[in-house]
Amino acid sequence: MADVLSVGVNLEAFAQAISAIQALRSSVSRVFDCLKDGMRNKETLEGREKAFIAHFQDNLHSVNRDLNELERLSNLVGKPSENHPLHNSGLLSLDPVQDKTPLYSQLLQAYKWSNKLQYHAGLASGLLNQQSLKRSANQMGVSAKRRPKAQPTTLVLPPQYVDDVISRIDRMFPEMTIHLSRPNGTSAMLLVTLGKVLKVIVVMRSLFIDRTIVKGYNENVYTEDGKLDIWSKSNYQVFQKVTDHATTALLHYQLPQMPDVVVRSFMTWLRSYIKLFQAPCQRCGKFLQDGLPPTWRDFRTLEAFHDTCRQ
Amino acid sequence: MGVTCVSQMPVAEGKSVQQTVELLTRELEMLGAEKQGTFCVDDETYHTAASTLGSQGQAGKLMYVMHNSEYPLSCFALFENGPCLVADTNFDVLMVKLKGFFQSAKASKIETRGTRYQYYDFLVKVGTVTMGPSARGISVEGEYGPSVVASDCWSLLLEFLQSFLGSNTPGAPTVFGNRHDAVYSPADTMLQYMGLFNKIRRQQQGPVAGIR
Repeated sequence: MADVLSVGVNLEAFAQAISAIQALRSSVSRVFDCLKDGMRNKETLEGREKAFIAHFQDNLHSVNRDLNELERLSNLVGKPSENHPLHNSGLLSLDPVQDKTPLYSQLLQAYKWSNKLQYHAGLASGLLNQQSLKRSANQMGVSAKRRPKAQPTTLVLPPQYVDDVISRIDRMFPEMTIHLSRPNGTSAMLLVTLGKVLKVIVVMRSLFIDRTIVKGYNENVYTEDGKLDIWSKSNYQVFQKVTDHATTALLHYQLPQMPDVVVRSFMTWLRSYIKLFQAPCQRCGKFLQDGLPPTWRDFRTLEAFHDTCRQ
Repeated sequence: MGVTCVSQMPVAEGKSVQQTVELLTRELEMLGAEKQGTFCVDDETYHTAASTLGSQGQAGKLMYVMHNSEYPLSCFALFENGPCLVADTNFDVLMVKLKGFFQSAKASKIETRGTRYQYYDFLVKVGTVTMGPSARGISVEGEYGPSVVASDCWSLLLEFLQSFLGSNTPGAPTVFGNRHDAVYSPADTMLQYMGLFNKIRRQQQGPVAGIR
């Protein structure tokens, strides 16, 4: 209630107006009582009629007086502040049963939260736009008229070409085997087995790497139907960490015009994980940090670091 | 199934087996490991029956039948230096039927029971080795789940064991030396347990000779 009223209201006039309403109510009820009672018993009919009319007129005059008084007072009372941020929904605050239906306070909280969210999202989008993560060959900012309508050529490659590139990379490294399959349409799904250390499922979109999941050598990579399971995470924390690093790597190695170079560099980076359990961290020299071996491989030098030790 | 190392923890000076186990578990909990239930590994010895030895007078071979609560549906049968058979639990019933060929050595059942702890991808089991009613020693097992090749992750496992065993850290188990790049299997764990139990059995028989 206090939200709605403000100091613009004349509280005294308000109290007087309330009593004026009461007076008006009683004079109106007197009018009706008089009508209900009807004519009093008097000697002549005329006398009775006159008395009744006089009484009735008195009552109506008092109603009139009270109404004028009320109108005068209501002009003095002043308007409540127009300051609700929610306009009509601010009137919800007048609901007296706050405990059972706290609508107004919840509504205010929801608005504050959504305003904050909008603000933070604006800041985040500004920061993210500085680091462009778009991997297609389209230029940002070129107007729609000048930009060619056709999709960039690297996105529409014949599957045979993709197969060739992958098989060439497969032959490059002896300890890494790559198995390509296309269970869902034209996107290739690679199952990369690295020695006896880990298995990586790579989901591709023509020759761009879309997603990777890293699992242990002894973990099951197939679903119950025998298809490649591309969604479930590894049971081991170390491989969950390596999955995160692999996702960072696939965003790092970007060259929209030459995607086969990208795939080759990604596979070279992945191959450094053959010594996941054998290599100590280059910075602290230990094997374990928080129960994890050095899971980070530097993108340029391929040296092993703990996630918390990397520069 | 990851690479596992089984070792014996010597009882601390002036303390009982129970107290040493408590010390170890407290160390583990300080490290941040979570308790995850209990485990039990047991072992029964069988002699090859005299009637099957024939006239050459070969020495009877000892066969060990082991169970591990980590693999509840399996039963392991091992010879000392020989192969290890992994069978299902009906193997115990089969042993009863093979009474003519294999006789159980009485009072030879040895087992270790204790709690399981999980620390990130490591699994640690600290157990009290008992033979009959008496506690004979402490077994400590450390397992690193993600790796399946022993030679790969031995240094990693060693560093982890050192963090809570301190100076009592064991050397590389002999089973690791035998298989260089082969995938580690549960049978190797049971071989290690068998070695540990035999050592404890020999300790009790010759306390003067075999002080650790």
